[in-house]
Amino acid sequence: MTLGTWFVLFVALILAAEAVRALRQRTLARERWRRFFRHRTTSWGLSILTFFVIIAVAAPFVAPFDPNAQLDIVRLKNVGPSWTFILGTDVLSRDVWSRIVWGARVSLRVATLGALVAVALGTLVGAAAGYYRRWVDGVLMRGVDVGLALPRIFILLMAVALWDGLPFTVLVLLIGLTSWFGTSRLVRAEVLSLRGRDFVVAARALGAGDGRVIFRHVLPNAAAPIIVSAALSVGNVLLLEASLSFLGIGVPPPWPSWGNMIADGATSLYNAPWTTLFPGLAISLVVMSLNAVADGLREALDPREDAA
Amino acid sequence: MLVRRLVVSAAIVFAVVTLVFILIHLAPGTPCAGFAGETAPPDPLVCRDLTQRFGLDRSLPEQYWRYLVALAHGDLGYSFSLHRPVRDAIAETVPFTLQLAGAALLLDFLVGLGLGIYQARRVNRLPDVVLGNITLFIYSLPTFWLALILLLVFGEKLRLFPVGGPNDPIICPTIDSAFCALDRLWHLALPAATLGLVGAAGTARFQRAAMLDVASEDYVRTARAKGVPERRVVLVHQLRNALLSFITRFGLAFPFLLTGAVLIETIFAWPGMGRLAVEAILARDYPVVTATALMASIVVVLGNLVADVLLGVADPRLRVRSTDLETIAT
Amino acid sequence: MLSAMQRRLHTIAFLFLIMAALAVSACERRGGCTGANCGTLVNAAVAEPPTLLPPSSEDIAANDIDEQLFLKLADVGMSTNTVGDEDFQPLLAQTWEWDGPLTLVFHLDPRARWQDGTPVTAADVEFTFNAYNDSAVASPYRAKLKRIASVTQRDSLTAVVRFRERYPEMFYDAVYHMRVLPAHLLRSVPRGEWKTAAFGRQPVGDGPYRFVRWQAAQSIELVADSTFFLGRPAIRRLIWRFTPNLQVAVTQVLADQADVREQLVTPENVQRARDAKQLTVYPFRGNVYTYLAFNLRANGDTSKPNPIFADRDVRRALSMAVDRASLVKSALGDIGKVPPGPMSSLLWIWDPEIRQLPYDTAQAARLLSAHGWRDHDGDGVRDKNGQPLEFHILVPTTSALRRQYARLLQEQFRGIGVKADIDEVEFSVVTQRLGSGKFDTSILSRGNDPSPGSGITQTWTRAGFGGSNYPRYYSAEFERFVDRAIAAPTREQARPLWRSAMETINADAPAIFLYSLENFAAVHKRVENVQIRPDSWAALLRTWRIPPDRLIDRDRVER
Repeated sequence: MTLGTWFVLFVALILAAEAVRALRQRTLARERWRRFFRHRTTSWGLSILTFFVIIAVAAPFVAPFDPNAQLDIVRLKNVGPSWTFILGTDVLSRDVWSRIVWGARVSLRVATLGALVAVALGTLVGAAAGYYRRWVDGVLMRGVDVGLALPRIFILLMAVALWDGLPFTVLVLLIGLTSWFGTSRLVRAEVLSLRGRDFVVAARALGAGDGRVIFRHVLPNAAAPIIVSAALSVGNVLLLEASLSFLGIGVPPPWPSWGNMIADGATSLYNAPWTTLFPGLAISLVVMSLNAVADGLREALDPREDAA
Repeated sequence: MLVRRLVVSAAIVFAVVTLVFILIHLAPGTPCAGFAGETAPPDPLVCRDLTQRFGLDRSLPEQYWRYLVALAHGDLGYSFSLHRPVRDAIAETVPFTLQLAGAALLLDFLVGLGLGIYQARRVNRLPDVVLGNITLFIYSLPTFWLALILLLVFGEKLRLFPVGGPNDPIICPTIDSAFCALDRLWHLALPAATLGLVGAAGTARFQRAAMLDVASEDYVRTARAKGVPERRVVLVHQLRNALLSFITRFGLAFPFLLTGAVLIETIFAWPGMGRLAVEAILARDYPVVTATALMASIVVVLGNLVADVLLGVADPRLRVRSTDLETIAT
Repeated sequence: MLSAMQRRLHTIAFLFLIMAALAVSACERRGGCTGANCGTLVNAAVAEPPTLLPPSSEDIAANDIDEQLFLKLADVGMSTNTVGDEDFQPLLAQTWEWDGPLTLVFHLDPRARWQDGTPVTAADVEFTFNAYNDSAVASPYRAKLKRIASVTQRDSLTAVVRFRERYPEMFYDAVYHMRVLPAHLLRSVPRGEWKTAAFGRQPVGDGPYRFVRWQAAQSIELVADSTFFLGRPAIRRLIWRFTPNLQVAVTQVLADQADVREQLVTPENVQRARDAKQLTVYPFRGNVYTYLAFNLRANGDTSKPNPIFADRDVRRALSMAVDRASLVKSALGDIGKVPPGPMSSLLWIWDPEIRQLPYDTAQAARLLSAHGWRDHDGDGVRDKNGQPLEFHILVPTTSALRRQYARLLQEQFRGIGVKADIDEVEFSVVTQRLGSGKFDTSILSRGNDPSPGSGITQTWTRAGFGGSNYPRYYSAEFERFVDRAIAAPTREQARPLWRSAMETINADAPAIFLYSLENFAAVHKRVENVQIRPDSWAALLRTWRIPPDRLIDRDRVER
């Protein structure tokens, strides 16, 4: 670690903490934000997430080494944490901290993309099922049942088997395509209860088309479970990517993702535990933070608390 | 109503099996390749023989039809990579899968329920906050990572538990005595703990939320207003709600233990169905893949049915927050 | 004050602990076997074999288990000398003699019996050769028997082997590759179904051990045959226990839950085994070498030359760009060596003096530039006529060592402006792609017999096209040296010929020969007389002993 990278690291830490604190101050007046920040864990979660996003974005400045550079395969292999390599080096003499920083980019991008696809698809399907009801609902929900009947890892393994040389972005899309079922049920439930409400009836009476009604009236009011679901999905996809990497499918080498770092380090678990410990911790921290933030969101957006 | 559900469920299973059948047959890499040693490519005669014997040279629709006919007779086919009828191969894995899933769910239920109730009773006080963070952390761990750590600490360093395997191969290759049953439990401890702990963390979070929900229900407040002892009111209603919601969650979560335990089964060398399925996909062993898909989908569909039935039986006034239920279950 | 629920939880936890304690303690209380013929050896194995029928399986675990179940006519000695017949140990054949230049006569030991009581006869030997040779059985050993014309029985205890030509390793070919099979049990099984035959899962043999049971996906158990005619094996029970993850298998041995791990693979594991108090580490020469093969033909079309690798100088440049010694040092520490050609350290032709390409990145860069591969567009990757010097390295997901090497090579190539992408795919797909030539480069491993001849012919000559010669390398000069070396009557005459052959193939660089793994076996300290033959570690298991004063609980269990 050079002086410059230490400096950038501290800046990132302070920035994350301050940003959250500032946000909290600025929104004290608003009821929902107060509920969001009610518990300490939510603030911590948001800070941690912000920190990881900052270092992911600023990766070239934060990382002291090239994440793929094998610095000295004979002498710097599996070196423990030290001042030069604050999280140690791995079995190919690459700096673990640099790989975590660049890996944050990949893992967070994968998780967000996958979750986005999942939530978008789930919302569309759920909204359609809840709004149109009858046979549309029946068919769509049976489709969801079929999708849920097959375990995800199974489907993904078969997809990788089917498609020789599957590009990684397509794999991420597939992850999204297999993760939307829960969201669709949620959204369907919300839409079902919303569609009878006054504002919807009014909009339709005024002649608004189905699409307009759904997108401009129903969905915005169903936002709560969708947002919470999105936050949780990101965490789930992150964990899924780690599992897939362990099975040998994942981000192609030499690029780091937290998942494939654990997979690569698994063989050195006993003599160089830091190579799996830190990426595992990183994943846990991010998923934890996402869950904490989701908790906060749930409290903030809970309609029953609104009334009270 | 129930009949309709059954028919629909059967249709779902059928759809799943068809889908898997098509997918696995389209995959490149023939089962032949699995027969070759690493130092030689498959002998073309072996491949020809295999394809003829298993009817792999017929057209896809014809293979599909033959498969359905065989299925109707209870014949799940013959596994190329395991050299046994598929039914035997799967039957061998069933007890292990049930044991692992059962033990994990038991741990999940006991620890999770206990923790959730305990936390709800001391809501927002120190024990709740500490436990809340701990459960949050454990819930966020990658399970295979936890498995490796547990193996290292408890298996190798402390030597408290066996390192992988379902039994002691010398004394108890099969369970033929009470001692061997205990041996199986001992070997089950680590893998079940890995799955169960993460599950318990999730259950604890969920139950805590569910119980806090109930605490503010009208009828609870009414009962409290009527002067019924607080403890009894809370405990009885909360427990009932918690139990019902857990059963629902159980119905939805069980299938994931079947095949979601793949990584755990690989790491602990536990001969369950998840591991069988994955190795079959890698070996392009078509009959085993379709058969495990069939089993998995049956279990899922059954789980859904059970969950729905139980919910229907429950008191409709006991609302369960669907948000948590669905998101945790997926 | 504990609530009812909490009390219940405490009780359950307490009960569980008691059960666990009982299980552990009860383990210790069982006792029974004492004396010199007790002993249980648990082998922490990795991959479960598909079948135990000898001609149908090249699998390592199957080979080790078949060593205990089925006898060969004779076997190599510890020197692994394969020329002539002086260094061979009689097994099924008590004596033998030459009846003419092309005829070998074996006299079987009349005491040999199949485990169902039937005596072993020459009819079994004849049946065995016909089976191994039958294309319907599709045995991987078939190609090694091609110089044997026939095997017939003269009478019930005399088998006659006739060869097509004279060469130094006739005896070796006659005895090493085939394990004699029971004709009376296998005659009725259609040859095409041998790979899936029930016999393969419940074998009946004539060896020092008998098959007991096979718990699918868990373990295979063998028990000693106390009436074995060459001497009762000292260790009573052998158990192979299958754990798909190599690291977990190693941990089992380290945690004293298994007795043997025949290959520790990584230097870290070797160190851990050396530190473990109850284990002894036995090094023995490895019989596997690993190389990065270049596909000399176009990817997917064997009729066209490869646009990058058909050029000999490009291959030489790529070879010179890789610091093989450092790679071995990094990945394998002391337990691997850089091979001076396509050979493992087991082979007697191993000679570090054989001329190889040096590690010289400057010369590599110059060679590439001289052939037009220059970085014209400044992206860090050399190119020529618009095509970048980029290729894929195919590795199976099953080998962590090869995957590590792929990453190391990727970085070495990056240093001279060559871009390598890594394709990690399942083993069955790798095999398929190799067979159909759909690859650029791949990291492959080759196991050696103790004799260099058959392996090298199969992998590096035209005879291996469509077989194991995936790179499709052909050099008339190389083949001439190899043929003459195989025909040379003594090792001293063969040595310089082998050397010339190796120097030729090194200069042509159809592959980069990366490492030859030294084997390290970890065996429990209590086991004595651990004899490990380098070509097959389990061949002499029946001579291992556990002295009566060193028995532990595993050994004493009676069942």
